[in-house]
Amino acid sequence: MIVSESDSDLVRRAQAEDIDAFCLLAERYARRIHLLASHYCRHAQDAEDLSQEVWLKAYQALPSFRFESSFYTWLRRITINAFLNHRRSSFFRRGGQTTAVQLVPIDMEAPETFHSSSPENIYNKLLFENVVSALAELTPSQRLSFLLRHYEGMSYDEIANAMNCSAGTVKKGVSRAIGKLRARLSPESEEPETLEFSNAQL
Amino acid sequence: MHNCKETRERFTELVLDGDPRAEKLLDQCEECRAEFESLTATLRMTTRLRETVAPTESYWTSYHAQLRSNLEQFHAKAQRLRHAKAQREELKPGLGFVFASLRQPLRLCVKTFLRPVPVPLGVALFAVGLVLALFGIRAPQQPATPPQAPAVVQVPVEVPTVQEKVVTQVVYRDRRRVSKPSKRVINSPTAESTIARSQDTLSGFKPTDEVKLTVIKGGSPNEK
Repeated sequence: MIVSESDSDLVRRAQAEDIDAFCLLAERYARRIHLLASHYCRHAQDAEDLSQEVWLKAYQALPSFRFESSFYTWLRRITINAFLNHRRSSFFRRGGQTTAVQLVPIDMEAPETFHSSSPENIYNKLLFENVVSALAELTPSQRLSFLLRHYEGMSYDEIANAMNCSAGTVKKGVSRAIGKLRARLSPESEEPETLEFSNAQL
Repeated sequence: MHNCKETRERFTELVLDGDPRAEKLLDQCEECRAEFESLTATLRMTTRLRETVAPTESYWTSYHAQLRSNLEQFHAKAQRLRHAKAQREELKPGLGFVFASLRQPLRLCVKTFLRPVPVPLGVALFAVGLVLALFGIRAPQQPATPPQAPAVVQVPVEVPTVQEKVVTQVVYRDRRRVSKPSKRVINSPTAESTIARSQDTLSGFKPTDEVKLTVIKGGSPNEK
């Protein structure tokens, strides 16, 4: 029977520059980080780059980890900082345009995200596209607030502390994100562009 | 009393936290219940999406391979930097190393020279030291090297020069006009008196045989 090592053991080994141990940690949490990144970034390639960057930063900062919290809590803090810094850098790279949203055919955008082209998966593709489009209409802070609240289950105070803002701001961002999602995902408010795309797919 | 506005403002927290008090609040208003269920359905949809939308295993294989490659590159770079830093430290020992190497000779000097000596010997050593110090002070005062040629320093000196000033002044001299008798004015009445006066002074005058008369018309020099 194989007994998996605890996070603490793996972190200690990784702190002693054991790359294998760090890769094992990455295998445990990469999906959660990638999920956040894929909802945060509009493009799949950006999401992959950002999640890779998070792991490199975590490896770089690993000697400073003092076991005062769980490894994932510490990693999540690094993730939030990386997301916010990515927002700033992309802001400067795009010359001040914070929201550059455009509809791209999903098959071109995320070819390996979905398993097959069954009707259910096509529906999921469209749903995912709608969710990401709705989130893309928000500011990066609001988007991140929603993801941390809804997907990570963090409290408003925890999010506010991690993002250096007030709990009221976080609440407002989450509420706004849910409003956008409702407007996008409710059956009566489907946009013509989405319908055309779904007909082409089906 | 039920307040729809307040209830709906709390929807987000009630849905996300799964608060059991939600049922009690919603029992009082059918509209609020419908709104709440719509919101719950939206969030349930996104949750389901999170579970169903996941990359394939092949994606994760390449993802972790890429991550390992990045980590190895980073690790190698960090090791190179660390090695270079260690080499720099070996080449440049700090001040601590210098002081540690000087500590033993300093201690030997203190042990050798700071010993109790008899008073006469001490006085004699002090006197010798004083004389040596005096010579040492005087020695630099004597010229050890032959006097060098005085250095020539060129200093610009201002020499006052007499500046002559030539003043040109136009002086007008009062010229007496010599009145010449004009042939033209002979006929005029005033000319008769002039002729009469000149006849008084022309005693002994002998006129010439030829008379040369030049008539000037107008004032222009070209007109004759």
